[in-house]
Amino acid sequence: MNPAADLASRGEEIVAINGLRKSFGAIEVLKGIDISVKRGEVVVVLGPSGSGKSTMLRCVNFLETFEQGAITVNGRPVGYKTTGGVRKPVSELENARLREHVGMVFQSYNLFPHRTVLQNVMMGPVKVKGMNAAKARDLAMRLLGKVGMDHKADAYPGRLSGGQQQRVAIARALAMEPSVMLFDEVTSALDPELVGEVLKVMRELAEEGMTMIVVTHEMGFARSVADRVIFMDGGVVVEAGPPADIMANPKTDRFRGFLSRHLSEDG
Amino acid sequence: MFPVLQSSLPYLLQGAVYTIVLSAIVVVFGTILGVGVGVLAAVGGKALRAAVTAYIFVFRGIPVLVVMFLGFYSFPAMGLRLDAYTAVAVSMIVYVAAFVAEATRGAIAAVPAGQLEAAKSLGMRKGMMMREIILPQAMRLLIAPVLNISLMAIKQTSYASIVGAWELSFAAREVVERTLAAFQIFLGVMIIYFVICYPLSLAARALEKRLAFDH
Amino acid sequence: MEAFIVFFTRYLPAFADGFLITTWVAALAAPTAMIWALVLIIPRLARWKWLTRLVDGYVEIMRNSPLLVQMYLLYFGLPLLGIFWSSIVCGVIAIALQHGAFLSEILRSGIQSLSQRQWEAGSAIGLRRSAVIRLVILPQAFIRVLPALGNQLIVLVKDTSLVSAIGVMDLTLTGKVTIERSGASFEAFIAVAMFYLVLTTVLGLALRVVEVRAARRYG
Ligand SMILES: Nc1ncnc2c1ncn2[C@@H]1O[C@H](COP(=O)(O)OP(=O)(O)OP(=O)(O)O)[C@@H](O)[C@H]1O
Ligand SMILES: [Mg+2]
Repeated sequence: MNPAADLASRGEEIVAINGLRKSFGAIEVLKGIDISVKRGEVVVVLGPSGSGKSTMLRCVNFLETFEQGAITVNGRPVGYKTTGGVRKPVSELENARLREHVGMVFQSYNLFPHRTVLQNVMMGPVKVKGMNAAKARDLAMRLLGKVGMDHKADAYPGRLSGGQQQRVAIARALAMEPSVMLFDEVTSALDPELVGEVLKVMRELAEEGMTMIVVTHEMGFARSVADRVIFMDGGVVVEAGPPADIMANPKTDRFRGFLSRHLSEDG
Repeated sequence: MFPVLQSSLPYLLQGAVYTIVLSAIVVVFGTILGVGVGVLAAVGGKALRAAVTAYIFVFRGIPVLVVMFLGFYSFPAMGLRLDAYTAVAVSMIVYVAAFVAEATRGAIAAVPAGQLEAAKSLGMRKGMMMREIILPQAMRLLIAPVLNISLMAIKQTSYASIVGAWELSFAAREVVERTLAAFQIFLGVMIIYFVICYPLSLAARALEKRLAFDH
Repeated sequence: MEAFIVFFTRYLPAFADGFLITTWVAALAAPTAMIWALVLIIPRLARWKWLTRLVDGYVEIMRNSPLLVQMYLLYFGLPLLGIFWSSIVCGVIAIALQHGAFLSEILRSGIQSLSQRQWEAGSAIGLRRSAVIRLVILPQAFIRVLPALGNQLIVLVKDTSLVSAIGVMDLTLTGKVTIERSGASFEAFIAVAMFYLVLTTVLGLALRVVEVRAARRYG
């Protein structure tokens, strides 16, 4: 929100993923992932379907458990604490506290259908953080204005288009004033003509210095917004680096193949 | 045209009042108990869940008439002196609650997983999630099924007459035993039940379509 | 518990008889209700307007009034017309009349859930309307609503307990008579409840097997 102050604290690590391994039953879908995200950084994760992108993202706010490795957000452990070499699950309360600092936006929006747009955005600050209603209302209206949805504050989500719902979902996540925002293919369910309005909001967020991890198939977004691109395949990070480098000169056949398949469908 | 029906109509309507009162008591308390039990099963531990499953399984598997007799004969054995009307009411509440509990579990399960993930992501804990996200949506899904269960319960209150509780069907049998006018009386009584049930029936059907959320 | 076992073994023969009667009533009523349900959907499928309306009215009355009163109507009413049917027959017919209405509603919803294309596909290969219904529509609708039909059958089995009100010595009446004549106490109805539970559970499991088979073959 304040680029000058942010610059000073750039370099501080917000998310650290170390040696993350995760299986569903007998199938290992994450096979040792290391990712570090610094304040203000926008990391875009690319990869073919089934490569484990969503699973990795969901581990960061502990929507998925994991067997090995460690994740921290703002230095606080996610899901498990290791004391004296023993790994123990942290309490439900600690997980809930941690999630307050991690905003998540889903492919399927997941707005609360029984609450208006404004109530959706106010719910986190009021119910979870205990903010008073008037203040939360101001905050919510400001964020709705930012995503261009303040004119629909009193509508119910069922009445909105997919693009509108997704922008409200972004405002809802921002209302918690998170340290990092996670986006999981947030434009994949949208009609093509609605993709742009959501990407625009995300682009503006990035320019304001929000720390973001973005899983997407939008190559244009990756190239122009990402500070760093990570290519995942088969549960491992195959390549990582600034988009100008690695997207122009992929080192592996896997990434090259992936890019040629996706660049053809997207400028 | 139907002299016996006409002359006994006040008596039958008095029975109908008893039917309506019994139905209202059973539906209100059965719904409260059933929703409570269904919610408990959703938030409680394994043992509680197993107990609720067993309760639902047993009561849904036996006829309500048997439950009424069971109540009627076992309350005295427990040292409770209840009249037939009360015994039937209590038995039916427990019976109806099993159906409502099952519907409640279904409604809670029908709230999409994405809703829970979104709530969790905002930092909500289990209790708040239940209160703010799951229950409001589940209750809406529950309205139509509960109306249908209520309809079932109203019709079943007529079985109270078999156990000896006086209400509309009991009154009808008394009149028929006295007058032998079985056709007029039982047809008339069917119409009285129809008048009570049909509006609920219509409401249930209309709400089934209207109340679903488009997620 | 021990007292219950002693009691149970002493009255077992009586309960076994009642169990058989209950099963017999259900075994008569279920197919009768199903056949009646099929008859009830004929006017709609044949597009006989007036008869369809009549059936709709009949279904509404059946759904919105108690089976017990319908049973009384037959049992106490028919003799006035000089028709003397046994209480079992009256009970079975009353059950079939009501459950036929419910089952026909279920079938109707199944037929409505099939897309128009099935009708078109049927007539496209040159079948007459009646053949499309028999060969294409009904079998598919039937499989689609199998779970709902199964639930209704279980309700039917439980509803057979009402025949006790017109004097059929089924499980329920056996329970009552055991208490009133032999000074047994409420345990009689625990035994009765257990018998019903066995009956509905076995039926439920059998229906599950049928559903799974049907789903595997046609799903
Ligand atoms: N809940 C689950 N249970 C079992 N397997 C799962 C589950 N969730 C994901 N998987 C499997 O884990 C693997 C990785 O899935 P994930 O959703 O993380 O992939 P992705 O990279 O996000 O793919 P996409 O681009 O299709 O979203 C896949 O093979 C998937 O089938
Ligand atoms: Mg994914």
